[in-house]
Amino acid sequence: MGRKKTIIGQPVIRPDALAKVQGRARYIGDLFLERKNCLVGRALFAPCSHARLLRVDTSAAEALPGVVTVMTAKDLPGLNAYGAAAPDKPVLADGIIRYQGDPVAFVAAVDRQTADRAVALIRAEYEPLEPQLDPRENLRPGAPLIHENHPISRGSNVSSKWRVERGDAAAALAQSDIVLENDFETQMADHAYLETENCLAEPDEIEGGIHLIAPGHSAHLNCRSLAAAFGLPHSKVHVTTPIVGGSFGGKEDSNLEVAVMAGVLALKTGRPVFCEYTREESLRNSGKRHATRSHRKLGATKDGILTALEADIVVDKGAYRSIDPIPQRMSMYGGGVYRIPNAKVEARSVFTHHVYGCAFRGLGVPQAMFSIECQMDDLARRLGMDPVELRLKNLLREGDSIITGQVMRADRGLGLEKCIREVCGRIGWDRPVEQSGDPNIRRGRGIAAIMYGSGTGYPDDGAHCFVNLQMDGSLMVGIGTAELGQGGLAAMTQIAAETLGISCSMVNVNYSDNHASPETGATVASRSTVFVGNAIVRGCTILKERMLGCAGKLLEETPENLEIEDGIISVRGNEEKSVPLRQVVRAAYMSQVPLTAVGDWYPPLNRPDPVNGQDDRMHTYTFGAQAVEVSVDIGTGVYTLDRSVAAFDIGRVINPLCAEGQVEGGVTQGIGYAMMENFELKNGIAVSDTYHSYLIPTSMDLPSLETILVEAPNELGPYGAKGVGEPPVTAAAPAIRNALLDAIGIPFYSLPITPMKVLAALKAREREEA
Amino acid sequence: MREVHFILNGRPVSVTADENELLVDTIRGRFGLCGTKEGCRAGDCGTCTVLLEGTAVRSCLLLTCSVEGRHITTIEGLGDRDHIHPIQQAFIDAGAVQCGFCTPGMVLTAKALLDRNPHPGEREIRVALSGNLCRCTGYEKIIKAVQLASQRMDPTPETE
Repeated sequence: MGRKKTIIGQPVIRPDALAKVQGRARYIGDLFLERKNCLVGRALFAPCSHARLLRVDTSAAEALPGVVTVMTAKDLPGLNAYGAAAPDKPVLADGIIRYQGDPVAFVAAVDRQTADRAVALIRAEYEPLEPQLDPRENLRPGAPLIHENHPISRGSNVSSKWRVERGDAAAALAQSDIVLENDFETQMADHAYLETENCLAEPDEIEGGIHLIAPGHSAHLNCRSLAAAFGLPHSKVHVTTPIVGGSFGGKEDSNLEVAVMAGVLALKTGRPVFCEYTREESLRNSGKRHATRSHRKLGATKDGILTALEADIVVDKGAYRSIDPIPQRMSMYGGGVYRIPNAKVEARSVFTHHVYGCAFRGLGVPQAMFSIECQMDDLARRLGMDPVELRLKNLLREGDSIITGQVMRADRGLGLEKCIREVCGRIGWDRPVEQSGDPNIRRGRGIAAIMYGSGTGYPDDGAHCFVNLQMDGSLMVGIGTAELGQGGLAAMTQIAAETLGISCSMVNVNYSDNHASPETGATVASRSTVFVGNAIVRGCTILKERMLGCAGKLLEETPENLEIEDGIISVRGNEEKSVPLRQVVRAAYMSQVPLTAVGDWYPPLNRPDPVNGQDDRMHTYTFGAQAVEVSVDIGTGVYTLDRSVAAFDIGRVINPLCAEGQVEGGVTQGIGYAMMENFELKNGIAVSDTYHSYLIPTSMDLPSLETILVEAPNELGPYGAKGVGEPPVTAAAPAIRNALLDAIGIPFYSLPITPMKVLAALKAREREEA
Repeated sequence: MREVHFILNGRPVSVTADENELLVDTIRGRFGLCGTKEGCRAGDCGTCTVLLEGTAVRSCLLLTCSVEGRHITTIEGLGDRDHIHPIQQAFIDAGAVQCGFCTPGMVLTAKALLDRNPHPGEREIRVALSGNLCRCTGYEKIIKAVQLASQRMDPTPETE
């Protein structure tokens, strides 16, 4: 009686763990090794960031024994354009080079060595053109267009723009006791997943299409983005995504570069083709976290009550549109987690001849949170107020609204204040930071608080899944989202098992296959657990009701009195009276009751307001806070992160082991973004093209990461869940910056804050004081 | 071309290899042992880690011809479906696996460490793992897994 065991919230071991620790998990590069007669595709890339491509001579490459085909723009099977959001990226450069990752020719050969040799034999001639690298210059009237005829941004270098306006920011700033005016700058960063972009493409000789085995965030999106380039209808482009060696947003779009190459080569040769980026190609060509510049004014009363925000944000889009809600996200989150009655934020992303910006865990929010959370600490200093006290004074509480006018609701999960109180309690905020005995070492403590919505916020953000009961009472689930490492497979399995009432071992989730799943939406925007989880709940509930109806007839009971646990349907309160689910499934089939259903879920419809950005973008928000301690060596500028305590309110936790892993991994990427990661370019050409010139955190760069999961349930989430993937990346940079401010009294306004930057600031202050 | 003989996961093997053939290519391409991953081909990431006479090395920095007569252990040599090595079990139980691409290299680096020092402190574990990049976990649960494996493999550390 009511003692039903729950699988939700249990640290269920993820189904892929054993194969991964034993080296038996097959990634796409491994599938290639196991295939016979598979060709290898390679590309010649432009050596510059902007040029006119004059001619390409492939004759020597074609003559090399072992080369099967060489392709240039004239040899393509379909449209010479593709892209996740707009078809603006050429499959092969035709006339103009817009960044150094534009491919000029593709080669397919019997093996990698031959393909590389053939690429070296291709002669391409270019007329160098001046690269336009500053987005602010490219905004000026009369600036030459990066795209003469862009499918969306015709006649303009603006890729996308957004604005949020409420109240009267200018008037409120004029009346504010304090106005902080700052310029913030954030850098490009690379995803640096350990498995580079790759794809295995096989022509389908029976039905005349193509099968792409490719990483990505959505099998359906991969198909939609590429079908026209193959000259095929969507139904003939079969995409499957086996396990992926990390993505963090990058392979949603950047992997298309490799998939389109493998696909056109497979269609041309009629043979399977494998393509894979080298680490250098991955770093040079693939999309980055967008570099941004924000000019901001934040107003407050002398008591520390925020009055107004004005911001003008320019985003370096790079050469192609890719995924670009960055201006929208940076605007809507411009005021952070605070009540700000007056706001005017304008943001534009602008084409340049840099590598393009794409989705990267956080999607514009790390940049936004850095700027508001730095200003909150600056304001606290100006007022002589404790940074936590200032935050609590202005914090969003139930009924308050963010600058988009969206009202925060406790029933959707509002654990913001609890996150702040938890990290403060754990790190000992009320006690002063313990100083080192070494006079060269200065210690400091900092905090930041964030919010992050689940879902894309666009009207088409819905999820569907197939749920398919088998004759033995087991369940197959078909979804189009991917297992990128985050543990989605475990969470989806738990949700299906819990809802239907069977054990996890009886559930098989068929993930990332566009031919075996309906449109699921992508594995992005911290939406999978909530959106796809809800679709699975809906689908399994339909099946459960049908099976309980059939079981009622078998047991001569009303279905309302029945329950399923572990695959046994029994009468509540009389467990002796029961029937196994597998018997009910057979009986259902014999009685013409369908065994398959589609589960679907859409959040409450948001109608984006393109004029003033006043809309209810996300149905629920994840909240968080992170507090850190640093030690700075004032002689060298070298500083260490001594402690990191992070609390995130992710709603009801489905799997604590996976959820903690998401928080720890996200926090670490945030720490890398703050302290070291910097994708450097010179004249549009990548300087950071290896793991020794693009540094990411190692085990030696981190303290033990302390994680607190706060659970404020979302009434619309599956079992109360909210999103977890992205929020943890957004708080580290401002928390570290604020700890440095506390330690040495110097405010930084740009990322990353490297030891060189710290040392230069210390020296500059010494000179000023002298 | 040269004929090279070595011991791979306990078995004597031989291959005819080019002088410049990398061990990672021999292991993956010729023996089909795909558990050894390749992340950078430049010695930076540690993804291709194997054990050479019990020491963790990067197989993208070793020439196949240089391992003549030596013992090489890959992840496939540590355990199989029916014999899960305690370090592998600890990685599973601690939740140390996400995308899994660094995992075989991490497990082998941990093996080399624990063979050398059955009870390493947290700092020693961090030092030992510092040549293996992981982009998913923040290393937190990997370090916990090594500690867990250490306790399980030798529950009674000698007191000094």
